[in-house]
Amino acid sequence: MAADDAWSAEIKRLPLAPDPDPLALDDDLAERLLDGDLPLDQAPPGYAQVASLLAAAAGPPTPAELAGREAALAELRAMARAGRAIPRGSGRPGRRRRVGLLVAVAVCGLSTTGIAAATTGTLPDPIRDTARRILATVDDTAPMPSTTPGRRPAPSPGDGPAVGATSEGQRPRPAGVPEATAGPGTSNDQPCRASKARKGADKNKKLNAVTSQAAGDADNVTSECQNSRPDGTDGNGRDKHPPSDGHGRGQGSEPPPDAGSKSGQGQAGPPPNGGGGSPEKGRPIETGPRRTSFSTSR
Amino acid sequence: MIGPGFPAVLTAAAGGDEDAFGVLWHDLQPRLLRYFKVIAPGAAEDLASETWLAVIRAVGRFQGDEAAFRAWVFTIARHKARDGWRRAARRPVQELPATSLAEPPAPDDPAATVLEDASTQAALALIATLPAGQAEAVVLRVVAGLEVTQVAEIMDKRPNTVRVLTHRGLRRLAERLGADHGPRARRAV
Repeated sequence: MAADDAWSAEIKRLPLAPDPDPLALDDDLAERLLDGDLPLDQAPPGYAQVASLLAAAAGPPTPAELAGREAALAELRAMARAGRAIPRGSGRPGRRRRVGLLVAVAVCGLSTTGIAAATTGTLPDPIRDTARRILATVDDTAPMPSTTPGRRPAPSPGDGPAVGATSEGQRPRPAGVPEATAGPGTSNDQPCRASKARKGADKNKKLNAVTSQAAGDADNVTSECQNSRPDGTDGNGRDKHPPSDGHGRGQGSEPPPDAGSKSGQGQAGPPPNGGGGSPEKGRPIETGPRRTSFSTSR
Repeated sequence: MIGPGFPAVLTAAAGGDEDAFGVLWHDLQPRLLRYFKVIAPGAAEDLASETWLAVIRAVGRFQGDEAAFRAWVFTIARHKARDGWRRAARRPVQELPATSLAEPPAPDDPAATVLEDASTQAALALIATLPAGQAEAVVLRVVAGLEVTQVAEIMDKRPNTVRVLTHRGLRRLAERLGADHGPRARRAV
């Protein structure tokens, strides 16, 4: 044995294998530690203190930790008074948002459909008639035949001082209306022609056809418009004369002093270009029994 | 834990019943404070108040059992803590002189005796010395009493990651308790 050789006793003291990790921790042990299910006497070396520490961290509440109870309840009361607490069971915001979105889409769809139908002239008759009535109150320069018995086309603008006015005090026609001076001898469909000329009525052929047909039958009806009844009403029991202030619902001028004697001529004054008509323009047109056919011509 | 009566308590609290809300608060407020003392020391009281305000506003929409409610509350708490961190990051930092910082007590310091009486606070302080992820995982598991999957959702991590974090945290605690802070911590806890 050489001098530099180690002693056999020293060789025996050398470790044959490294020591296992004294703090090794498997999953089960860790879960038991975290759950507080590991008794101290069963804890592996080095983890008994950890178990005690974790138990202390999860210990019962201290008085200091519970000191803010009244303040928290005061906050709850304040929130309840302000109505900000959301009742249990109320719908989620997403659901309300979806409902609102559906309503908005439905409204937009109906509006678009209505506009498209109105543009193409495919609106149902009742709706179209209602729209005409509404529009007629805005602009009576476009008289349209109506299926409503109480509504009649306006008389020719050349019919004297009452032209441009209806029995309901409609406005006089503005200047530039074609064929506005035509008398009763020309045709009684001139209001419709004027309307077509003014509004480019060729856009709606169907409507024009209806209008023309109605106008063809309208001679008697128009005359009825222009004729006043002996009782001064328009046939529906309404007074054809304007209110005492002379304005009616239209924008006409002062009514003639003897408005009662000018039956069937409305209440408004002459149109801007309505003068110069033939002497026959103010002549009442006889009322015929074909009014019914006009009313139902559509 | 509230136990089988939790659904009734939750319903009553959502309806504005103060007693029922007090039961919820009594069960969770200490856990919230301890959680905040670990992850956001210095702002625990304020963050707990903000958390309860959020709970009051939204408790009517919550649906679930007690464990889910607890996880929901701590999810709100973590969001509040993150908001607090952002606010703190925007605030200018004023450095304090080193002498104003409290020195750790010596093993035979009388303050250690006080610390023994406040064993919970000492334990939380020791957990707070862990790396942030490990400390949060440990406190959510131990103090909040949440499962691994719930902690993973709250911390936005995978469950295996949470397991690794807790294992490392426990091992580090064991190392500290057995070495530097061993005798004192043993007394403290």
